[in-house]
Amino acid sequence: MVRELRSAEFPLADEVWRDYHGMTGDPGRDRIFAVFLAGRIVSLARCRRHPDGSMEVDGVFTPEACRGRGYARMAVSALVVACHNDDLYMYAVESLAGFYAEFRFISIPERDLPPAIRERYTWAAGNMEGAEVRPMRRRAGL
Amino acid sequence: MNAGNPLAVSFSGTRNRIAAIAVLTALTLGGNLLGLLLGAPEGLLPLPALPLSIPIILASYWYPRRGLLFSVCLAAAYAVTVLLLSPPDPLLPLTILPRAVFLILIGGVVALLSSRLRESEQQMNQIIEFLPDATFAIDREGRVIAWNRAIEEMTGVKEEAILNRGDHEYAIPFCGERRPLLADRVLQSQGEQPQVLVSENTIPRLRDGKGAHLRSAATALIDANGNVAGAIESIRDVSDQVMMEAALQNASRQLNTLSGILRTDLSNRLAVLYGHLSVGVMKFDDPEILSFIGDLNNAANGIRRQIEISREFRDIGTSPPAWVPVQETVRQAAAGLTFGTVSLEVWTERLEAFADPHLGTVFSHLFENSLAPATGATRIVVTYHLRPEGCAIIVEDDGTGIPDAEKEGLFVQKAEGYGHGLFLAHEILAITGITIRETGTPGEGAKFELLVPSGGYRIV
Repeated sequence: MVRELRSAEFPLADEVWRDYHGMTGDPGRDRIFAVFLAGRIVSLARCRRHPDGSMEVDGVFTPEACRGRGYARMAVSALVVACHNDDLYMYAVESLAGFYAEFRFISIPERDLPPAIRERYTWAAGNMEGAEVRPMRRRAGL
Repeated sequence: MNAGNPLAVSFSGTRNRIAAIAVLTALTLGGNLLGLLLGAPEGLLPLPALPLSIPIILASYWYPRRGLLFSVCLAAAYAVTVLLLSPPDPLLPLTILPRAVFLILIGGVVALLSSRLRESEQQMNQIIEFLPDATFAIDREGRVIAWNRAIEEMTGVKEEAILNRGDHEYAIPFCGERRPLLADRVLQSQGEQPQVLVSENTIPRLRDGKGAHLRSAATALIDANGNVAGAIESIRDVSDQVMMEAALQNASRQLNTLSGILRTDLSNRLAVLYGHLSVGVMKFDDPEILSFIGDLNNAANGIRRQIEISREFRDIGTSPPAWVPVQETVRQAAAGLTFGTVSLEVWTERLEAFADPHLGTVFSHLFENSLAPATGATRIVVTYHLRPEGCAIIVEDDGTGIPDAEKEGLFVQKAEGYGHGLFLAHEILAITGITIRETGTPGEGAKFELLVPSGGYRIV
C-alpha cells in the first residue's frame, strides 16, 4: 500500500532515511509518500516546497533489503500524481535519469532550475557530471 | 486607569493632595528654618536638603505640569534661607547650590515620568472609551476603574456616578441588585492561568424593560509583575441577532415541513406511476409502446433524483461549519457510489477545510458526473494545490470533459431542475466562501477546482 504520511508519521520516515544522508522531513514544507509492506515502510519519496514556491523531488529511497521489487516506482508514481499540479524539479542521480524519465521528467540545464533548488548544489560549481547528478523537470499535469 | 495605585487610593481628592503637600512642605522647610534659627550643631550645617524631596516628589507626581516649578521654588527657598541664616562661609554657596539643583532635578524627573504615565493611562482610557462594546473594568478590590461610553448608553449610568464605586455596584444596572458579574469570577480565579470567560444571559431590565440578550466576555488585567491587578468585562447586546436567528429557524422549519409534505406526496404518486409502468411493460409487447414506457420510466427516475436532491438541500446550513478532513470526506462520499472499472485516487491526506458538514455531498455530485457512462471516464483523481489566494481542491477525470458552452451555466439553478446537482454543490461550498469552477479541457476530461480561501484550510 502506498499513501502520504501524516505529520505525526514523519519520524517513521526520518528513521528510514537515517541511512540516506541522515535526511529528515519537515511537516511545514514537505509531503512524504511511503510504500508500506506489513506495516513497515519499504520505500519513500519526498516533495519539498521551497520558499519561492518551487517543488523539489528528493529523498527517493528504498532500504537495501527491499530493493528490486518496484517499491520506489510506487512511491514516485504516487508523488507525481499527488503533486502534479505544480512543475516538479529534481537533481536525479545520473544512473536513475532513465527511471525518472518514465514519469515524464526530462533533463534540463542547471540554469533552468529555480534558484532555491539550484542552491543545494552550488558546491559543484556547475560541474553536474562530476557530481553525478542531473537536473530534471516534470511539467505540471497528470 | 489607576489599578493597584495606593497613592491614588489614599489621596484621591484634590483638596487632600494639596493639604498633604502643604503640610509636608511646611514641616520640612519649617524644620530646616527652625534648625537654622535655633542653631543646629556644627556638624549638621548646612542642614540637609533630602527631606524637602518628599513634598517635591508628591507634588511632581500628582501635578506633573507644575511639578518642576514647585521644585524650583522650594529649592530656591531652601537655598536662600540656608545662605542667609547659616554662619558666613565662603564655600557655603558651593555646598548649597548642588543641593538645590538636585531638588530641581528630582522634581523634573518625577514630573516627566508622571506625565508619561498619565499619557499612557489616557491612551488606554481612550481605547476603552471608544470600544463599540459596552466595557467596564474593576481593580482587585472590585472598584470600577473604567466605564466606557457604550456601557453608559446601555445602562444609563454615567461614568462619574460609578467610577471608584465598589461592592458590586456595577451589577445594579443589569441585575437590579449587588451581585458578582463575570469580571468578579475572573478575580476569583486568581492563581490560575489567566483566561477569557464568556457567558450569555438574558437581562430583563435592559431596553426599557423589554429585556436584552447579552454576550459577555471578561479577562484579567495583569500588572508588570504578572499579578492580577483587576478584570475587564466587555458586553455585547446580541438581542437582534438572536431574534433573527430564531425567526430564520422558524421560517426554515416551516419550509422544511412544507417541502417534506410535498416530497412525501410526490414520492407516493411516483410509486403509483412506477406501478403503472411495470404493469404496462407486462401488458404490452409492441416495441413502440415499450420504448414509450421506457421514456416515461426515465422521466420518473429524473423526478425521483430531484426529490433526493431536495432532501439533501433541506439539511444544508443546519449544522455549523467545521474543520473537515478532506481525505476521509472524499472516501465516505465515494463509498456510497458504484465506481465499477473507474479508478479513484485521492491525495488529500493531510488537508482539512473549514466547510459545511455536507462537503461530502459536493464530492458525491462531482463523482456522479464523472461516473455517468456518457463521459467514458476511467480514472478520477482528487488532489490539492496551494496558491497565493488559497488552496484548490481539484477533482478531475479523463472522460470527455465539459463543452465550453456548458461551463458557464454548470452551477446555476436551471428552470428545468437542478442540473447535475452542481447548483447544490455550489451552495454548500458558498456557505464558507469556497468557490467552484470547471477548468477542464473538452475532450480531455472534466476538472473541478474548489478554491478554499486562505484562512479556510490547513495542512495538519
